[in-house]
Amino acid sequence: MKQAILMPVLSDTMQTGRLTRWNKSVGDPVHKGEAIAEVETDKAILDVEAFADGFLAGPLAPVDEDIPVRQPIAYLVDNREAALAADDGTATAEKASEAAPAKTGANQAPADTTPRATQVSASQATVPTGKEDASVPVSSPPAGTQIPTSPPSPSAKRNAPTTVPTAGNLPRSAAGASPYARALAQDLGLTIEEIQPGADGQIHASEVLAAALAPRPVDLRYGPPYQISKPSALREAVARNMIAAAATPSFRISTRVDLSPLHEQGKRLRLSFTLALTRACALTVAEDPWFNGVWTPTGWVSRSRVDVGIAVDTGAGLITPVLRDAASRPLAELAEYWRILLGKVKTGRLAPEDYQGASFYVSNLGIFAEVEEFDAIVPVGASAILAVAAPASDGRTQLTLTCDHRGIFGADAARFLQRLTQRLKDPAWLQ
Amino acid sequence: MSEILYWQALNQALDAELAADDAVFTLGEDVGLYGGTYRVSEGLMAKYGEWRVRDTPISENSFTGLGVSAAMLGLRPVVEIMTINFALFAMDSIVNMAAKIPFMSGGQFTMPLTIRMPGGIARQLGAQHSQRLESMFMNVPGLRIAVPSTPQDAYWQLRQAIRSDDPVIVLEHELLYFSKGEVDTHASAPPLHQALIRRSGRDLTCISYSRMVPLALEAAQALHAEGVEMEVIDLRSLSPIDWATCVESVLRTHRCLIVEEDCRFAGVGAELAAELQERCFYQLDAPIQRVAGLDLPTPFNATLEAASIPRQEDILKAARALLNLPQGES
Repeated sequence: MKQAILMPVLSDTMQTGRLTRWNKSVGDPVHKGEAIAEVETDKAILDVEAFADGFLAGPLAPVDEDIPVRQPIAYLVDNREAALAADDGTATAEKASEAAPAKTGANQAPADTTPRATQVSASQATVPTGKEDASVPVSSPPAGTQIPTSPPSPSAKRNAPTTVPTAGNLPRSAAGASPYARALAQDLGLTIEEIQPGADGQIHASEVLAAALAPRPVDLRYGPPYQISKPSALREAVARNMIAAAATPSFRISTRVDLSPLHEQGKRLRLSFTLALTRACALTVAEDPWFNGVWTPTGWVSRSRVDVGIAVDTGAGLITPVLRDAASRPLAELAEYWRILLGKVKTGRLAPEDYQGASFYVSNLGIFAEVEEFDAIVPVGASAILAVAAPASDGRTQLTLTCDHRGIFGADAARFLQRLTQRLKDPAWLQ
Repeated sequence: MSEILYWQALNQALDAELAADDAVFTLGEDVGLYGGTYRVSEGLMAKYGEWRVRDTPISENSFTGLGVSAAMLGLRPVVEIMTINFALFAMDSIVNMAAKIPFMSGGQFTMPLTIRMPGGIARQLGAQHSQRLESMFMNVPGLRIAVPSTPQDAYWQLRQAIRSDDPVIVLEHELLYFSKGEVDTHASAPPLHQALIRRSGRDLTCISYSRMVPLALEAAQALHAEGVEMEVIDLRSLSPIDWATCVESVLRTHRCLIVEEDCRFAGVGAELAAELQERCFYQLDAPIQRVAGLDLPTPFNATLEAASIPRQEDILKAARALLNLPQGES
């Protein structure tokens, strides 16, 4: 029996996954629960586990390509012969890319003429994910953008980034468009050439509507020469989340406070400043239910525990490990928990339950002495985010609170800052 | 209103017309004493006598020709041909006489003739008794063709056919005679040729007729579970075709699937697809698709026979393909 192994859905925001490596080859025996491949999702690298015993059969999906969730990435068969018979080893890439229709589309030319290059960026190879594979950008046209293409010169094969000429001709899409799609595109002021075809390689009304609703692609034709590379899944996830967050009606409120008492109290307790600040925020959030909830179309969600997300710079992008129950856990336990989370950040193994679903966020740029003030964006699902700048010349630090105005009003925010400032000035509560 | 069988609905319609108009009579093989092969004229000879419910010899061209002559003389004959396969013997009467005389006489003669016959694939009747042939009759100008798929339509359309001054073929289906449905004998009927939307849907339009309509409705129900809303149109008439209803629907859904039991080549679906693309081209979001019978004499083997005409799974697959959806596990 041949069973498909599907690209798993590892988080609720995950639409595609990118395989970073195969741990097994075609014909290898695999056991139930064994990690057969690694997949890079929104924010983490996770294992794809075999759901049963068997032998791995191809075609194996290619590494470093976006594959829609629930698409087959390989197959499990009963015996080794069947596994080897199912895959002659040559058609793997082509077949697998058929399995990922999101990748195809306007660029349905044979692989060699597709303007695509793979490159290991020196700067990104040092990313503390410990995974070189994860930092291999594959330059490939992102969906919805217009890329002037021309047949690459023989030297511009797979090893060099493709430099796109500025005055290139707009390519005519190789895809056909249904008459209705054309009519709709005309009504909506779109040209059919700028629309990405659907799964069958044709343009239907649904693709036109998607293009009409999508943000207009950046027109790069007249700017400087450029090259396009595929951002990491983490960067793409951040971009998606930020676009989603733009829909939150928010306002900002600021104060200046001397943080040195908190620093000193933290030192006495051998507690990091991040944890001390997180504790202060969590306690303040716990005092006001409007800060521990979120507005949803079905109603106001109030939470029974304060989870605080902390923005961490990984060098390769932003990630927000979440300290669960930050208001009432013993400090020592919280510190240990934080140490584990940071370890996962370093190895790129943060799972969705490690970085999703905080009530409140903290973003601290205090280590950059030049930053006197800044504000942050409220992530979807949170009530507010506190931006902590570096101390100014008078020793005081600017704190800027950005709040979701659907749940929090100006006076609530003012009172929040009042209580928080009180805690920061006199941190005797921190024991 | 009561639930009755398709053959009972036809029986009631014939009874009502025989009672209402002395000019109405029926004739054919075994319609009298035996009550009709599918019981459609059951009890009528006893009620109306052997002159108005008339048994004939096995002589399709002759008794159909008799019907033509009687219609020319002002009667309203209802000719029963035992199956559409035997109508091949009566082609001269139907094509050269019934369909032509009103035109060739410059309208001096009307042709209030009704020809009832069942078509379609039943169960293992062999290639010569499993034909559909409706597209053959569609190709004859001057004929009307009604294809009732429900007992209610069987009742309405047979009565309307008898009252029509044009020659009407009422094409029944051997597997529908024992289907059940509500029949309201008092409700006013839609026009003889009007198509009806049996199920509304926003995603695609399925156009069908006769026995394929219940099949399409089952498929629509299965698609509903997958989140696909398929509109199902019952044509009810193959000549003329109610284009307005079809076009209105296709303009709404932008996708059209035709399901027919007859052979695909030069069939009903070919005519529908050609006309609809002319009328709806700029509103189509995908090519019009046909699910049809295979182009071969019907095999006797039951499995092969079933595989030679559309099954529910064929409709589901075609609908998913039309909507660019992944096919389910099967």
